[in-house]
Amino acid sequence: MSGLGSWAARRLLLGGAQTAAVVLLVFALTEALPGDAAVALAGDQPDPARIAAVREAMELDRPAHERLADWAGGLLHADFGTSLVSGRPVGAYLSDAFGPTLLLASLTVVLLVPAGVGLGVLAARFEGRPVDRLVSAVTLGVYAVPEFALGVLLVTVFALRLGWLPPTAVGYGTDLLGHPAALVLPVLVLLSRPVCSLCRLVRASMIDALASPYVAQARRYGVAGARVRYAHALPNAVAPAAQQLARTVDWLLCGVIVVEALFVIPGLGTVLMNAVAERDVPVVQGLAVVFGVVTVVLNLGADLVAHRFAPRAEVAA
Amino acid sequence: MKGPGEGVAPGRFVLGAVLVCVPLVLALCGPWFAGAPGPRAASFTLGDGHLLGTDFVGRDVGRQVLLGGRPVVVVAVTATALAYLVALPVGLIGALTHRRWLEDALMRPLDVLLAVPSLLMILLVATVFSPGPAGLALLVALVNVPDAARIVRAAAADVAARPAVEALRMQGESWWRVAVGHVGRSILRPLAADAGVRLTGVLYLVATAAFLGIGVAPDAADWAVMVDRNRTGLFVQPWAVVVPALLIVALTMGCNLLCDAALTRTRVPVHADVRGVGTRMEERRP
Repeated sequence: MSGLGSWAARRLLLGGAQTAAVVLLVFALTEALPGDAAVALAGDQPDPARIAAVREAMELDRPAHERLADWAGGLLHADFGTSLVSGRPVGAYLSDAFGPTLLLASLTVVLLVPAGVGLGVLAARFEGRPVDRLVSAVTLGVYAVPEFALGVLLVTVFALRLGWLPPTAVGYGTDLLGHPAALVLPVLVLLSRPVCSLCRLVRASMIDALASPYVAQARRYGVAGARVRYAHALPNAVAPAAQQLARTVDWLLCGVIVVEALFVIPGLGTVLMNAVAERDVPVVQGLAVVFGVVTVVLNLGADLVAHRFAPRAEVAA
Repeated sequence: MKGPGEGVAPGRFVLGAVLVCVPLVLALCGPWFAGAPGPRAASFTLGDGHLLGTDFVGRDVGRQVLLGGRPVVVVAVTATALAYLVALPVGLIGALTHRRWLEDALMRPLDVLLAVPSLLMILLVATVFSPGPAGLALLVALVNVPDAARIVRAAAADVAARPAVEALRMQGESWWRVAVGHVGRSILRPLAADAGVRLTGVLYLVATAAFLGIGVAPDAADWAVMVDRNRTGLFVQPWAVVVPALLIVALTMGCNLLCDAALTRTRVPVHADVRGVGTRMEERRP
């Protein structure tokens, strides 16, 4: 038990270090600006008033460590600073755009689990047969395809040729739930990569589990095939997949940025891309901290849970 | 555990090779056949001497397609090579040193960096630096270093624990000969497997970054940029979007199928870390 305790402590420590690293890295951005940060950020309108305003807003005259302390302290009370472009607080940007992104992400995760596990079990059940070959080849192929290319092709087929679904979410604002048809393609595109990876993982560990002695023993006792598969083999096969599920958050984030750009959905990804284009550093920093910390915390949670339920699984820390 | 797709490799190998050939040949040889730019026509038109119509500023889409593959492929290959250039020495030293503090100093910071999502890192840097194609290659290489170094270290640590390495050490062979001559040579095959998978992931990242406008000029001849910029005319002139999108799909899909088939066919003694091709790129263990 002490082994588990010290492992958890080390994993928590790593999580803390990762959080601190994310905050430091994001802060280091303004320091990394070549020359005078205010001049660099003023960009297209380098008039003295604008430069002075940027300098004032970012408090560039104060030493870096004081600004870091202030900024990190503010983060603790969800104070992310103010936008350079609009002067609005960054927190307001976050809360405005939070809804659509959360909707997209949660819909994807809810559909991801049954789709990925179902396909994986199906392929494992017919291992080596045409169904398995088809599922394996398709998941392997689609896994590597960038979301924007897949999305654009889906739009061409389903919105342009067949006319079944709207090509973008333009005009629906943040009220996406009221227009479910507009959500079909974005969620489909977001699902494409995580489903493939989850399916491949479940298939591999399911084949392992089905070949194990305890499954053979259960079969000898005459336990029904479906019961062996779902009650005995599947729980063992799903443990490694649970960790993979948390990893997918990393690329769900990637996917969300692309999908929101592609389907013009006013979520966090769109806010981030706009801020990057306008060099609105405080907004980019706020979003980066939120995204980074969410990733760290989810991975930490997944590792702790996986370690609790399957201590055999090697989790590096 | 059985490797994915064992016994189905031949068909998949051919499929992957065919899929990857078309975009790859087009990307590498296309610019030689592109010819001089013709006069600009109206935006988003079809026919009128343009086989695939015109794009958002009235350029010939066929010519842009011929030109647009090379940047994607060249940036991806460069980034993969650069990532290994850093990861190889770091991983080898980490695996072969007997000084615990040196290993920790090299590997622990990478564990911490693994936590930052790759695209987020690229976007962060793009905010302040507006990188060109070379900058994009450097950035993509940078976000791949932590993971690649971990794989090199794991593979090298496996080899370094073998009696042969102990024997070499006891014979008084120099560190260089043991590290590069023996261990370096022994991990070439698992590394080749990893390089294939990594290239697929890098292609994905490079194309996605270009689509989001990072590391490219707004009117660059680049398949990903073409998809982005010509989207506005999708309903008038779909070819300007569909052709580059299909080429990117074929390139990434074929690359992954080919790597997987090659991996199962040659039966590389894959280290546990390198296994599970389809899930490798982002399956990170902090």
